[in-house]
Amino acid sequence: MSIRLLALIPVAVAINLALSAAVDAVGLPLFLDTTGTILATALAGPVVGVATGVLTSVTNSFRNPTFLPFVAVQVLVALYAWVAARAGLFRSLTVAIPAGLGLGILAAAASTPISYKIFGCSTSGGVTMITLLGRKLGMSDLLACAFSAFVTDFGDKAVTFGLVATVLHALPKRTAARFPLALRSIGAA
Amino acid sequence: MSGRHPFTLLALAAALPALAWTLPTPWGAAGTVAVALLLCLLTPGASPGLVVARRALFTAAPFWLFLFLLHERATAVAIALRLSTMIASLVWLVAILPPPRLVEALVAAGYSVHFAFLFAATLSAVPALRARAQHIIDAQRCRGLATRGGPLTRLRALGALALPLVLSALHDVDERALALATRGLSAGARRTPLAPPPDSMTERVLRWALVFGCVAAVAGRVLWRA
Repeated sequence: MSIRLLALIPVAVAINLALSAAVDAVGLPLFLDTTGTILATALAGPVVGVATGVLTSVTNSFRNPTFLPFVAVQVLVALYAWVAARAGLFRSLTVAIPAGLGLGILAAAASTPISYKIFGCSTSGGVTMITLLGRKLGMSDLLACAFSAFVTDFGDKAVTFGLVATVLHALPKRTAARFPLALRSIGAA
Repeated sequence: MSGRHPFTLLALAAALPALAWTLPTPWGAAGTVAVALLLCLLTPGASPGLVVARRALFTAAPFWLFLFLLHERATAVAIALRLSTMIASLVWLVAILPPPRLVEALVAAGYSVHFAFLFAATLSAVPALRARAQHIIDAQRCRGLATRGGPLTRLRALGALALPLVLSALHDVDERALALATRGLSAGARRTPLAPPPDSMTERVLRWALVFGCVAAVAGRVLWRA
């Protein structure tokens, strides 16, 4: 791995963890905690993306230990972002946002068994309330858990993909060309 | 306990949750959470034991509430005890093991210098970028950016906050790469740790005992069910 790609990983992890400040400032129900993972993958491929995802989960668990079991979701996000980048799905917002919705479905499907088996669907107050709502609507425990994961992940991943596409297009061409996958991600190569 | 080798501390922090999920509930998990909380209480150094134990309990408390809202009592207690073990073990580990000591242990054990760099650089990059995020938020508010209103207004505001943060972070990558190249961080380079944590035969035996204990617990559980 080149030194530039090695230097990208800690920066991408920091992006994952620092964007929560911007989300808190605008008060939207989003996480954006996979932005750095998706961006690193779109710039440099799956190895850098997976390393960013794993390191994000480990670093985040120092602050809140409950993040650690969700490391598999970060890996899945990196692999999906790699496929999306190779297909040039960051070339415009009209393509990136539906691709993000697709990731939302996959991420919800991946996080549901973890949330159900390890946490009993109690990962946060919001998730607990949505799970309770699902039950009131007559869903089984597992389905209510999947429902809450879907509600929390769906919009978040769409906004994240949109944000990454915007960043990739805002990058100066000279900077983008230094990363192996950047131009292909936006359909410029 | 703080003088123990970092790998021993990691092994203990990993074994307790593994045992909590393997041993029969509620007594198995009750035992592991008691051990984890005892370790928290015995934490020496800058964060006294009571502070560490309180941090673990405060982190675990919301899960107890959520679980009792969602499940019947026996299920809620079983899951809550397991989660509390995991939380208390990791809170204890963070309190007792300074990251630079873990990095030294990794380098001394022959792990790639890249691996050690990633770990150390991430721990220093996160607080720096968080501070920059706060500066950008303050600067944009000074310029009159509205962060409240309808969802579209908020989304636009989010773009105005996130975009400069991410672009400036990417700008740092080149500077960091140049600094690393100047310092000779290339593949195959071997760093000499200044103060490698001492590792004894007793600690190695203890680590293997923890591994075998977990494997035995899993095997016992499988045979019990069969």
